[in-house]
Formats: sequence, C-alpha cells, structure tokens
Amino acid sequence: MDPVTTLPVLLGIAWLVPLASFTLILLFGPRMGKHGQGAGMLATAAIGTSAVLSLIALFFVWVPAYDWAPEHHAAHAEHGAAEHHDAGHGEAGHDDAHDKDAHGADEHQAEEHKTEEHKTADEHHDWRKPYVAGEWYTLGQFGKLRIGISYYIDSLTVTMFAMITFIATMIHFYANGYMHDELHEITDHEVTLSNGHHLHRPGRFHRFFQYLSLFCFSMLGIVIAGNIAMVFVFWELVGICSYFLIGFYIERKSASNAANKAFIVNRVGDFGMIIGLMILIATLGTFSFGDIDTDGDGTAEPGIFSLVRTEANNYALVVPDGMVRAAAASEIAAGVEPSAEQIAAWRAETGPGGIGRTAYWLLIVAGLGIFCGCVGKSAQFPLHVWLPDAMEGPTPVSALVHSATMVAAGVYLVGRFYPVFTPETLLVIAVIGCITLFIAATIAIVAVDIKRVLAYSTVSQLGYMMLALGVGGWSAGMFHLITHAFFKSLLFMCSGSVIHAVHTNDMTKMGGLRHKMPFTAYTMLAGCLAIMGAGIPFMIGLSGYYSKDAILAQALSFKASNPQWGFLFYVAAAGAAITAFYMFRLWFMTFAGKPRDHHAYDHAHESPKIMYYPLIVLAVLAVVVAWPFWPVSIVALLEQARPEGFHETVNGVLVSNLTHPAEHISHEPNFHIQATWVATFVGLSGLGLAIVFYGLSLLNPAEVARQFKPVYTFLWNKWYFDELYDYIFVRPVLFVANRVAEFDKVVIDGIIDSLAMLTRMVARLDDLSDRYLVDGFVNGLAAWTYATGSKLRSAETGRIRQYVMFIVVGTVAMFVLISLYIS
Amino acid sequence: MNLLTDPVGITHYLIVGAILFVTGAVCMATKRNALGVLMGIELVLNGANVNFVAFGSEYLRPGVLGIGLDGQLIALFVIILAAAEAAVALAIVLNFYNNHSTVDVDRADELKG
Amino acid sequence: MESTYLTLLSTVVFLPALGALVLAFFPREKTEAMKYFALGVTALVFLLTLIMALPSAGDWQFDAAVTDMQKVFSVGWIPSFNINYFMGLDGISFPLVLLTTFVTMLSMAASWPIEKHVKAYCILFLILETGVLGVFLALDFFLFYVFWEVMLLPMYFLIGVWGGPRREYAAIKFFLYTLLGGVFMLIAILMLYFSSDLKMLSKDQLVAAHVISPELSEGEQAARFAEIQAHTTPRRTFNILALQQLGQHTDAFNGDVLGKPLQWWAFLLLLIGFVIKVPSVPLHTWLPDAHVEAPTPISMILAGILLKLGGYGIIRICYPICPQAGYELAYFVCALGVVSMVYGAFAALAQKDFKRLVAYSSVSHMGYVVLGIGVWSAVAGNEFNADAWKMGMNGAMFQMVAHGIASPGMFFMVGVIYERVHHRNLDQFGGLFAKMPLYSGLAIGIFFAGLGLPGLCGFIGEVFVTLSVWSFNHTLAIITASVVVLTAAYILWTLQRVYLGPEYKGPHGDHLHPMTTRELAIALPLFVLAIAMGVYPQMVFHYMTPSVNQTVDDLAGWAQRNAANLPQMAAFDPTAPAPVAPALVQAEIQ
Repeated sequence: MDPVTTLPVLLGIAWLVPLASFTLILLFGPRMGKHGQGAGMLATAAIGTSAVLSLIALFFVWVPAYDWAPEHHAAHAEHGAAEHHDAGHGEAGHDDAHDKDAHGADEHQAEEHKTEEHKTADEHHDWRKPYVAGEWYTLGQFGKLRIGISYYIDSLTVTMFAMITFIATMIHFYANGYMHDELHEITDHEVTLSNGHHLHRPGRFHRFFQYLSLFCFSMLGIVIAGNIAMVFVFWELVGICSYFLIGFYIERKSASNAANKAFIVNRVGDFGMIIGLMILIATLGTFSFGDIDTDGDGTAEPGIFSLVRTEANNYALVVPDGMVRAAAASEIAAGVEPSAEQIAAWRAETGPGGIGRTAYWLLIVAGLGIFCGCVGKSAQFPLHVWLPDAMEGPTPVSALVHSATMVAAGVYLVGRFYPVFTPETLLVIAVIGCITLFIAATIAIVAVDIKRVLAYSTVSQLGYMMLALGVGGWSAGMFHLITHAFFKSLLFMCSGSVIHAVHTNDMTKMGGLRHKMPFTAYTMLAGCLAIMGAGIPFMIGLSGYYSKDAILAQALSFKASNPQWGFLFYVAAAGAAITAFYMFRLWFMTFAGKPRDHHAYDHAHESPKIMYYPLIVLAVLAVVVAWPFWPVSIVALLEQARPEGFHETVNGVLVSNLTHPAEHISHEPNFHIQATWVATFVGLSGLGLAIVFYGLSLLNPAEVARQFKPVYTFLWNKWYFDELYDYIFVRPVLFVANRVAEFDKVVIDGIIDSLAMLTRMVARLDDLSDRYLVDGFVNGLAAWTYATGSKLRSAETGRIRQYVMFIVVGTVAMFVLISLYIS
Repeated sequence: MNLLTDPVGITHYLIVGAILFVTGAVCMATKRNALGVLMGIELVLNGANVNFVAFGSEYLRPGVLGIGLDGQLIALFVIILAAAEAAVALAIVLNFYNNHSTVDVDRADELKG
Repeated sequence: MESTYLTLLSTVVFLPALGALVLAFFPREKTEAMKYFALGVTALVFLLTLIMALPSAGDWQFDAAVTDMQKVFSVGWIPSFNINYFMGLDGISFPLVLLTTFVTMLSMAASWPIEKHVKAYCILFLILETGVLGVFLALDFFLFYVFWEVMLLPMYFLIGVWGGPRREYAAIKFFLYTLLGGVFMLIAILMLYFSSDLKMLSKDQLVAAHVISPELSEGEQAARFAEIQAHTTPRRTFNILALQQLGQHTDAFNGDVLGKPLQWWAFLLLLIGFVIKVPSVPLHTWLPDAHVEAPTPISMILAGILLKLGGYGIIRICYPICPQAGYELAYFVCALGVVSMVYGAFAALAQKDFKRLVAYSSVSHMGYVVLGIGVWSAVAGNEFNADAWKMGMNGAMFQMVAHGIASPGMFFMVGVIYERVHHRNLDQFGGLFAKMPLYSGLAIGIFFAGLGLPGLCGFIGEVFVTLSVWSFNHTLAIITASVVVLTAAYILWTLQRVYLGPEYKGPHGDHLHPMTTRELAIALPLFVLAIAMGVYPQMVFHYMTPSVNQTVDDLAGWAQRNAANLPQMAAFDPTAPAPVAPALVQAEIQ
C-alpha cells in the first residue's frame, strides 16, 4: 500500500473516530442503553477501531513500505559518525521512485490532501528519515504566515499511535468494569453535606467515557500534528480533558482543586511554549515540522526542521536565516532584502552582542520555550506539583492520562522537536530531567497513598526520559516512553483494582492481598519488575531492562565526554535503585505480609474479568514488548525516526566543551556492559532494601523514619513545594489581584467619583452665585422700580382738570426751557 | 414791531390761535362740567387749526414755495377728528351721567393711582 | 445600483427604528405582543443581514473577495457643510453588523423577564439597534458621530430605568464616560474637517473615496473633478474614505499644533474616545458598574456589541486617517492593550460578584483587540513585511467577533442563575452542576471559550494576536503570553466556585429549576457558534481577511513611502545577552 496516501487516511480516521464517539455520547449519552451503559461500549468500540487502524498502519503500511535503518554501517565508521544507512539500495531506489509517485499523485489530490514525502536525496551515503507530511485544512493565513491542521507521520508517529490506541483500548475495557458503580445512584463517602449526610448523586458513567473519548482524540491529535501550533491546540485540549477527568468527582473539593491546579500549572508551562511559538513564527514564518507544499506550486516550503538543519550543511544545526535577519533587524535598511553574503557575514559575527550570537540565543530561547510547555505537561521540576494531586481522578484516568499518554506528551514533544534544540538547550533538559527524577523518587519512598507512589514514580520516570533526551539519547528516551507506557498503565490499573477491592488508597490499610486477588498481585509484580528493569544481564529482560539500560549507557557515554556533567549519570543510577526500592515497598505493603486492616481485607475480592483480562494482556506486553528478537522491534522502528543530524556527535557553542556523543557510541561494549552491570546492581540493591524493610521486616521502617526525622518530614511534605509555591506565587498573585481590584475601586473610581463630586460642588457654587448675584441684581432692579412707582402713584389723582393743569404747566415749562436754552 | 400798525400778517393769526388755545386750556382746567371741558377741547383744537391754516396760506407767507394745500388739509382732518372725538366723548359723558347722575369731572376719579 | 444599496442599507439601519415607531401605537397592556413584535423586528433585521452573507443573494450579496467598500451609496444631506448620507460595507464592518443583528435578536429573546414599562423598553431597545448599525455602516464622519450619540441615549435609559439597585449611578457613569469620549471625538472630527481639502486628492483617489461616484462615466467623472478643482477655497469633507486618502497620501493633517502634528492630536483624541468604549484601563471603570446594574439582555448587548464599536473605530478611523500618529503612538496603543489584559485579569481574579468578574474578563479580553490592532510591525528592520501585523489585526477582528459571542453568552449564563436565586455572590454558589446539568454544561463550554480553549472561538483570536506581538516588541510579547495563566486561574476558580462542589450554598436553592426552552434557545446558538468559530475560523476570516489585509497593506505602504521621515522604531532589541564564555564562542555555529 502506498504509505503517502494511505497513512494520512488511516491515522486520520483513527484520530477522528474517538471524536465521533465523544460527540455521540455528548448528545445522546444518558439515553444509551441502561443508565448510559452503551456509552462505555461505544467509546470502547471507537478506540478499539482506532487501535485496529493504527496497528494496520504500523504493520501493514509502514513496515512493508520503509526499510530498516541498520544501527551501524562499517563504511562510515571512519567518518566518526554512524551514518544510518539504508541496507538495501534497491529499496531506497524504490523509495525515490515512490517519492515521485507521491508527487504525481499529489497533483491529483484534493488540495486539502497535499502530501509531501521527504526526498531520499543521496541514496548512496545517507539514510534519509522517511516521513509523510501534508495539510488537511487551514485555520488562518496572513500573508505568508499560515496556521493549519496538518500531519507529520514518521515511524515515531505510527508507533505512538499504536501504543496509545492499544493501551487506551485496554484501559477502556478496564474502565467499563471499574466505573461500574457509576451506573447507579451512588453515595460518595468522601463528601459530607451540611446536613451531615453523605452525598447521593446519579451515576455519571457516560460522562466518564465522553471525556475519555475526547481525550483520546486530543492525544492522537498531538501525535499526528504536523505543526507546532497544532500541537499547542491539542496540548490545550488534552489539558482540558485532564481537567475534566481529574475533577470527575466534581463534588469533592479536593478533586476540583486538583483539576484547577493541573490546568493552571500546565498553563504556566504553556506560557513558555507560547513564547517559543512567537519566536518561531516571527523569525521562521512557519510552524510546520516537515516540508509541505502549501501554496500548490509544486515545490515544498521548508518546514522548521529543514530550516534548522539544512541539507547543504549536512543536517548539522544551523541558525536559520530568519533568526539571523531578526537579530540584525536594526541593520537592515528600509525595503532592502539582505543578501546571502550579508546573512553569512552576520551569522559569523558572534562576538559578545554580535548578530550571530543573538540569533543563536533566539534559537535557544525558542527551544527552551517549547521545552517549558513540556515541563508543564510532563510534570518536570519545577512544575511537577500537579501530577500527584491529579490522582484525585478515577484510576483508569490515572493509568491512561496521567501515566501512559498525556504526561508522556511532553517527552514526545521534546523528541519530536529534537532537531531544533541546541546542545545548550539539551543540557538544560538533561539537568531538569535529572532533578525531577531524583526529587520525585525520594518523595515516592515515603508516600503511603498507593496512587501517589505511582504518581511520583511516573514523574521520576518522565525525568528519566528527559534526562535521556537531554544527554543525546534520543531513541533511549523514546524507547523508555513506550515501555514505560505499558508497565506504568499496568501498575496503575493494578492499583485501581486494589482500590476497587478495598475502597481505600492508603497502603497502611492493605497487606496480604495477594491471597485475595492473585491476578492483580502477580500482574503487578510483573509491572514492578519491569519498571525496576529486571533481567538476566545480556540475555533477556523485561521491557524496562532494555530501555533503562539504554538510558544509563547514554548517560555514561555523556559522562565520558563531559566529565563535569558526570553527576547526571550518578543521579540516574541512584534513581534506579530508589525506583526498585519504592516499587517493591509498594508491592510488599499491598500484597505481602499480614492484613493491616481486617475490615478492608475481609471485603476484598478479585476484580471482575473485564478488569483483570486487560491486566494480563498488559503484563505480558510489559514483559515482552521491548524484546529485540521480534521481527518488528521498537528500537529499530524508533531508529527510523531519529531526527536528522543526530547520527553524529554534536558540540555546544556557548557552553564550553559540551559534547553530545552520538547515540550509537553508547552501544559500544565499554559503555553498554558497564551500564548493564550498574543497572542490575542498583536495581538489585533497591530490591534487596525493600525486602529487608518490607518483605521480611528485618528492619522496621518506622525506626528509620524516627532516626532521620528531619529528612523524613521533608520528604513527607514533598520537599515543601506546595507550600513554597503557595507563598511565592499563589499568595502574591491573589494579593496583587486584590490590590488591583482595590485600586480600581479606590483610586480610579475614587478619581472619577471625586471628579463628579467636584463638578457637583462647582455646580452648587454656580447655583449660589446665580441665586444671590445674578438674580439678586435683577430682583433688586425690579424692587427699586416698584418702590419708585409706589412713590409716584400719589401723583395720579384721576382728576382731569389736574392733568390738564399738568399738561399746560408742563408745556409752558418746556417752552420756557427751550426758549431759554436753544436760543 | 407794532402789531396794531402792521398789516395783518401771520403773526396776527398766530396770536388769535394762541388766545383760542389758552382760552380752551383754561376752560378745560377750570370747568367741572364735562360739557364745559369738551368745549375747552374744541377751543384748543380750533386754536391749532388757525395755526395750520395760517402756516399753510400762500398769501400769508409769500416767497415760500411748495406749501400747497397741506395746512388746509390738516385743518380739515382736525375738524373731522374733533367731530369724531366729540361724538365719542359725548357718548362717554352720557354713559357717565347714566351711572353717576352727574357730569362733574371731579367725581370721575376712578383711575386714581 | 446606488439606489438599491440605499434601500438595502437604509432598511437594515432604520427597520428597527420603524419598528419602534410602530410599537408606540401598541396598547399599553399588550406586553407579550410587544415583545414578540420587537423580537420579530430584530429577527427580520438579522435575516436581512444573513441573506447578505449568503453566496447567492444577487445584488444584496456581500462579496467577500472585494477588499474595498461595497454597497456604497452617498446622498447629499447637509450640502452646505458637505455632509452626506453616506454608507457602505466592507469586510471590517460586515462581520460586526452580522454580529450586532444576531446578538440583538438573542438579547431581545432574553428580555422576556422584563415586566416594567415594556413598551418603552422595546422602543429604546430597537432605537439602540438602529444607532449601533448606523455607526458600523456610516462612512460620513458626521453621520458616524450622529449615530454614535443616538446609540448613547437609549443605553442610558435602559440601564437607568431597568437596572439594579445602583442603576442611576451606573447609568450616569456610563453616560458621562461615553459622552466625554464623544466630545473628544467631535473635537477631532472638526479638527480633521477643517484641515481637509478635497482638492489635494487626485481623480482616482476621489473616485476611490466615492466623492466622485464610480458609477459615473469617465467624462462625467472628469467633469466632477474639474468642478472640485475649480473652487478657490478648500473643499472640506467629512467623508471618512477621503479623509483616509488625505491622511495616507497627503500632508493635509501634518500642520503644527502645539509642537505636534495635527494628526497626532486628532489620533489621541479619537483614541481616547474609542478606548473609553473598548474599554481600556484606566478608562474602564464604567464597565463593571454598568454591567452589574444593567439587566441581563442589556449586559449582553453592552458586552457583545457596544464594546466592539471602540475597536471598530480604531481600525476604521484612527489608524487609516492618522497613520503617522499611529506609527508614533504604536507603543502607547499596545501598552494600553497589554495593561488592560493584565489589569483586567488581575481584577477579575479578586471579584466576589459573578457579573463583575465577567465584566473584568471583558476588559481583559478586549485588551487583546487593542493590542492586535496596534502591533505596527511593518517597519524597516522587517522590510515592511506586514504579515505579523496582518495576523494581529485579523486576530483582533476575530477576537471582537469571538468576544461578541462568548461574552453575551457568559452574561446570559449569569443572568439565568441570577433570575433564579437573585444574588451573584460567588462564594454562595456551588453544586449547580448537579441541579442544572444542561445549563452548567453550556455555561462551562462558554466560559471555556472565554478562557481561550482551542476548539472554541476565544482561542483563535487570542493566539493570533499573541503570536503577532513578538515581531513588534519582545517585552510586550512576554507579558501578553503570561496572561494565559491568569485567565485560566480566574475562569477555573469561578467555575469551581459556581458549578462544582457538593451543594448549593446560597439562598433560594429550591428555585434552581432547569433551563427553560427559551433560555436554551438563546444559549445554544451562542454555544454552537463558539464551537463552530473555534473549529472553522475561516467562516469569519473569509469575510474579514481581504479588507483587513488591505487596510494593513495600505498602512505598511504608507510606512514604506515615508520611511525616510519616520523616527526609527526598534524592531529588535539589540542588547546582547550576558556573555557566558566569550573566548570560547565559535565563529561558525555547527
């Protein structure tokens, strides 16, 4: 099958089916079957369909269409770089021809289905990463800037699709059983009403599946996204699904608080991501990952990856022209396009404050911005605080959203955006990952809430992945992402099964449960072994064995190149020991020993089949999924998607002697063997400690806790992060908010109101002056006239003869006067 | 100049007019009978008429050109006016008499301020 | 053709006024009939504008591909001052007209609970619609001003008579603020009028400005042109299009007034007038009071439409007529926008009154509009590439429409609950989701649209505006980006306090019956549109983008022509980052 045309359709449908399910449940949910039971089936069927389509896409479209990239190629050893080479040149040639077909087919396609396959330019020397990219439709276009819904499919996308849909299907099945209570009117014992009763409420079975479907759609949207803006869109959407699912028990204050916290903390990360997006769009003018021909002129416009890693530069990192130009903006004369020579000159100008240097900083900041988003989503230090609280949601949610998929999206995005990260950015990623894995692991040691232990374990494992990516282990990190998804979802579902049975999260009330629920207990044991990385060295192991080994080996290789950053390896190794310790602490406390709470123990029972069958499937996969013996091995699949430019060792520019060794170096015996031994040893030591404390109870953990009281309190309070953030962020923000509101009321409104008062006072003055000055004058005049008139009225006698006398006398007087004065 | 010796001229007429006027005015001022007052008014008007006619006469004012008949005409107006006025005044007097049974103008002081 | 357009646009504008006239003859006690009649009139006007938006409406059709004014007509009104009854439509005004008629119709439907002086209410309501539509359609500055003031008075009474307990205070505050803005505007209008001169424009420019009707034959046009040129005294004009031509192509408005060009003052006065309406901090305090006191439908109109007049005025009048002042004051405008966004978000976070909170959210959201309009990124360092500005201005326009959908929705949702329990204290809600699930679902959806969630209308405008800011100024861009956190905080906290939680904590809990069909009929279209615009923004961009881009291109072209005379605007902050290890910096980044 032609992957260029088939993959977008298959994965596109797989992506949209959950959306259809969501819409249907949203509209008709409560009327689906009895109490909305049909909603669960519909959602399960939908994600099942997606899973089938994704697996078809993986095994029947992708795998036959593209060759394997062999891990080494002797011919290129002398270049000091592992050129991942196409084993069968004929096949590569086929790719080439195929490419042309794709173009040909393209022109016949409807315009929303433009696809572009990467050119396999020089089939003799380089393995060119195969991918399929295109655009479905445009959200907005302004000049050359466009934002659209597009796709970028490489083997990582396909693998992620298969992994997500498969695990999601398992979890949907499981949730049908787990959420069974929601089918009826239920009593929430954690909510006490003001009248002292517990809350009774109708079940919300359909709503749960409605959110799950929306989540699956959004998550797949992140994975298939062909541009970073679309990633951001679905990034927010998974965030909101996570919000709904964490706050599923909306009546519980703790749940809605946790949901708010999750979303807001994620938004802090998004703040950084938006800055990254702004820089990218402002300097590069595109969001697209791959090269897509959007304007239909037959040639593809370069995407971000091609701009950052040009073919001309042998795919080494280069600051794109756009950034150099942006940095040199003040030197560009009006209306003049800078010449290529000018740009080259500017790029070379790397002295302090030089343009090339500023441009490089732009690239770093853009990368860090995107990474900020990943820090939020993947619960990395310092934004890790939301994930443990997120365990307020129902357990299937924790399994799907908060361990296997959504929180892994951050890691996925780092992996996807890898070509844009400079060595300095990668170093930051590694350090953040390292800090996270250590903090989370230490907190997990003392937690007693079974889901919180798993939550901290998740944070810690995500830290591992970030560390791996940060030290140059691209495929190691991605590999761990996949294996972790299997065993961590398994672990969560097992814990859910336990909670379902004993109705408490508190491990101190459990114990001995393996007798009551053997399936749960032993599948969980498999999960614990997998996360610990158990295996027979150099022979065979559980999935975690392979991925953790790869991470440690790469960290070791990084340490060899950068001795000053060696602590990254030591922390990772220590983290592995802690991981083994707290996981088995969890297992022993829950399943081994004597029951601590007999009431809970007596009521405990194995979960229904619909819940433990998925456990078994996942347990098997957690064991076998990473085996390299399969015809389609994950590592090989991932190697196909390795970003261009990371087949070779890269050096830092700003930070002195920073080197990211190529990943294949870590496969060489001197690192590989050492790392395996270290991993085995630390894993076993952690396991041993757990056995000593909890399995055999040779030492009393309470004693130790008393002995190290300050440390214990510090860890018990989760390093006081919540309190710290409360003091340095929440309170100041609320303080500022209140001051702003007051400012509004007191100052601005005060000014307005006092202006109004002033106006009224002026008006009153005006009134007074009117009344007493102006009116006084007019009235006085009138009064005077009246008085004069009154005085004169006595002259009016009414006697005609008198009047005649007056007239006569007056006339005579006038004549006399006139004759006197005029003549 | 001696009025008695001079030939009759405009001055003489004016003197006659003035005497008539003064007589009328004195009559108006002294008579309490309303009819007497009206007579006084007639005298005053006729005194004025004599003046008009005298000033309007080409014979009395030789050398003054373009006098025409203006004086005579105005005198005629005055006569008509006097007749009208007398008619109205007599009606008022009659009414007054009907109401007050007297024609004494001193009793008619209702317009007193 | 002009007579067709004259009929069409006049009908759109004056049909509500005519309806108001007819309403005056209704018997006093037939309140129900009056409401139906008023609703019918608003629906008719909406249908009329909707038909214009449809593709096959013949002469009536609004042609989205045309960038210039269309449906233009001009009839002499007061010839001695060159004032014309002059109207037209383009992609900037048409979406707003459509929004106006739509929101007015819904608000009328939301007016059913009004019982007091129904006749007066309906009459004022319809006159208000005429005023608003007139402002959007007027192309003569004087006509614009007349409609601006016409709209003001009904609003005053609608708040002052039908409002809450402090309605007189709120109404007077609203009136005085807006009147002040109107007065500033009038001064600016007269300043521009008395420095305008049609003789400075070429024949083509006059035709483009519809001073000379494009429908005349070539010869007639030449004759008209000669006639204009023959005058010895300057030919003053109120024609907005001609003023734009004068502002962009001549130096008519560059006369010196108190050390600044005349257009600088005109821009500032107009800006103050419009910004009061938007409203931007610090001229915003009328808004929370007006909203809190106004009855629900009036709040819907106020937030949905009246605030848009400010943004519309800035796009249509401030920038195109006074480009140089716009260029010099770009930072000021953007800063206004950013300050409003941050300030509004903080203030919203502190509110206890539900409606006041929504009002402050409007202040915050409208900040995006001012910011998006102001990002003058077409500067030398950019080779006058206006793409980012186009994105910002389109985003701002979209944000206006989106806010016109989301904000009335939010106010309506508050109104629904207020009508039941008669209080708005955020601390006394809770648990509504259990009691009114449909209502709560819709409300949460609409509030998320306000939060800027992808897939809902608020996202598109906000993200386009935000993304466009970096090219203009980095600091502003970073502050802008940070607002997303605050927005999420206040909206989610509100949702938590009102809809989530175990039980309702306030008085009148037994009145919390589910939504009625009428309420649903109002909320659902808003909700559906919020989704539709978020998923398929082209349905709005289709109409507005050509005209908006044209406006931006004109201004960018102006900047390029005048590049030599303009003060350099720093496009990029060249301050270097602190050197880490200068000695080790490599020449080539590989």
